[in-house]
Amino acid sequence: MRLSLGRQLLLLLGLAFIPAIGQAILYRHATSWSQPPVDSAPVSLSQAEAWGSSVLWVDARNDEAFERGHIPGAVQLNEDRWDDLLRGLLTAWAPERKVVVYCSRQTCNVSHEVAERLRKEGGLTNVYVLEGGWEAWQKQHP
Amino acid sequence: MAETASITPAATTSGARWPLFVRRGFGLLVGAVFVYAGTIKLLDPLRFAADITNYEIVPWSVAIRLAFYLPWLEVLCGLALIFQRLFSGALLVTGTLMLIFLGATISLKARGLDVNCGCFGTVVNLGFGGHLVLDLALLGVLVLLWCWPR
Repeated sequence: MRLSLGRQLLLLLGLAFIPAIGQAILYRHATSWSQPPVDSAPVSLSQAEAWGSSVLWVDARNDEAFERGHIPGAVQLNEDRWDDLLRGLLTAWAPERKVVVYCSRQTCNVSHEVAERLRKEGGLTNVYVLEGGWEAWQKQHP
Repeated sequence: MAETASITPAATTSGARWPLFVRRGFGLLVGAVFVYAGTIKLLDPLRFAADITNYEIVPWSVAIRLAFYLPWLEVLCGLALIFQRLFSGALLVTGTLMLIFLGATISLKARGLDVNCGCFGTVVNLGFGGHLVLDLALLGVLVLLWCWPR
């Protein structure tokens, strides 16, 4: 029996709801359905600057954005070239230093991902995400 | 005349076999990509929701719901393409999804946002150019399959 295109569409779109609803029920307490989860270690620009030279700035943006401009002394680390760039970060890193990761703006996510990988895979503990990212830095340092 | 009549059926059979083989091959290839992409995302729906939010097109409340639904739709359509069931419907859904992904990816670049596309979770990160090429290639195969005489 050959179903019409409309019925095929309805069947596919409808069938996908069944496991999706089941999975959503499993995750119902794991996240908020109205607000995004808050990052566990955000840091404001003024706070990070107050830490002075103990801060190791990590720029999580792509190569093009990094070349256009970055926080002085920042090392680049992103998921596009993780293995290559990680060496540079490890050279600059020391146990007493606070790692502050940033990306373009408040709503970008790559800084959170890089920070999470540094915590999970690198075992680093002093890892923070800069609130407002590069945009906040530029406003403060025009 | 008799010779022509004896050659024609064989040529037709041979001619009909290879396109069917190629069509199934393309279906398997593109279906496998969708199953893979969907599976990776459904293993971590919260990460996928964050990836959707990064596009700054829909709010979190919509993104989290899409994050639970889209991966299953991708897997289901991928399986339909592989096993050649509900084939036309799966082609239409995946083709529409590819157009949406392409538009969203291009809009990211146009707005200068440096986010991971989330197409394959965090396992594969091809960058803007790589994703654009992959999306266009997949869309091309889907269009080819759609236009292929059935």
